[in-house]
Amino acid sequence: MKRYFILIYTIVSLILSSILLGCERDDICPEDVSTTPRLIVEFYDLLNQEDIKNVPNLRVQGIGNTEVLSSFTGSTAINKVELPLKTDEASTQYSFIKDYAINDNGTPDDLTDDYVTGNEDIITINYTIENVYISRACGYKTTYNAVNIQFDVDDTDRWIALAQPLNDNQSIENETSTHYKFFHQ
Amino acid sequence: MKHQHIISFFISSCFFFFCCVLNAQETSDKETKTDTLIYKQKYGLRLGADLGKLVRSAIDDDYSGFEISGDYRLTKKLYLAGELGNEKRTITTDFLNVTAAGSYFKAGIDYNSYKNWLDMQNMIYFGFRVGASTFKQNLENYTVYNTNQYWPTQFSLEEPIEVDGLSAIWAELIIGIKAELFSNLFLGLNVQIKSLISEDEPNGFENLYIPGFNRTYDSGRFGIGFGYSLSYLIPIVKKNKKVVVDKTEN
Repeated sequence: MKRYFILIYTIVSLILSSILLGCERDDICPEDVSTTPRLIVEFYDLLNQEDIKNVPNLRVQGIGNTEVLSSFTGSTAINKVELPLKTDEASTQYSFIKDYAINDNGTPDDLTDDYVTGNEDIITINYTIENVYISRACGYKTTYNAVNIQFDVDDTDRWIALAQPLNDNQSIENETSTHYKFFHQ
Repeated sequence: MKHQHIISFFISSCFFFFCCVLNAQETSDKETKTDTLIYKQKYGLRLGADLGKLVRSAIDDDYSGFEISGDYRLTKKLYLAGELGNEKRTITTDFLNVTAAGSYFKAGIDYNSYKNWLDMQNMIYFGFRVGASTFKQNLENYTVYNTNQYWPTQFSLEEPIEVDGLSAIWAELIIGIKAELFSNLFLGLNVQIKSLISEDEPNGFENLYIPGFNRTYDSGRFGIGFGYSLSYLIPIVKKNKKVVVDKTEN
């Protein structure tokens, strides 16, 4: 009888511990969960403000980042950009270059004298961050409040005429809708 | 002479019939007569400790805890049972590091559904408990989850956030066995299925682990727990257990 009990005990223990160990491994953040959102900007025509207008050869790069923002490398016309914002600082700067091209200075083999052509506008996005708990697997996400965009006041040759938030006191909580409209000619 | 024969026939017949009647009586006795054996049953307080929690404390850096359990035998099959414990558990994911620490107690009833042989006192039991826990959550660190890694560093918490004075209440169903290994020494195993009744959650956060309740699940209020106990029975009174045995079986 004792042997019978000990046998059951051992078998059940083994089954239970394997279940217990198995259960704790399924904590993966699902892809469809809304996590830290990006700032979504759409480009509109300054003259016909209802109309979306493409920006030819738009190149977007974060100031202080050595990488160009992927899919905005300056080779295609763009009417919508998604900008990742810094979660550890209260402002993020981006360079927007319209009509981006590289002038090889007549020497295609020599890269050292190449220079970039196009119109560069630098914008500063200011905001306050708020960290919101999602779940055990996803942890926290950052949302942004009181978002405003400033242009470089010394730039006399701006191609972005106007940056307009869709709401007063614009916040960024998800990526389901556009947050800002940029008007250009 | 002839007379004598008649008498002896009569007497023999009488004996024969008598014997038949005796025989008949004896066979009917065998079918109905039973014997009653009396065993001493120990009633008392059984105290134990959870071996699983002790072993886990020794091998798992993220866990420390102990639990003492007790039950008191009320009737042949019913036991008043309870557990008292303290746990500290750190949960670390890629983005979070949180420690829950606190104490708990559980109280309820166990029902022994096992029919023991002779004087054995093994149990296969079902029971329920109501559990309560007071604890604190210490969010030691988190890093913001960002699927976009264009900016390489993400916000990271520098000052830990500690929330004290949290409590939770839950109910559980328990299924287990207790086997008497040596005299009065029992080895037990049980599974608990739990359902949260109420819990305090830290502001803007949730309880990932509740001492006594075990980890919580995103999917709902249910939880699960396991116990591996070693316990010792302190006999207080001995009561007679009458076992009715068919004599034909002996």
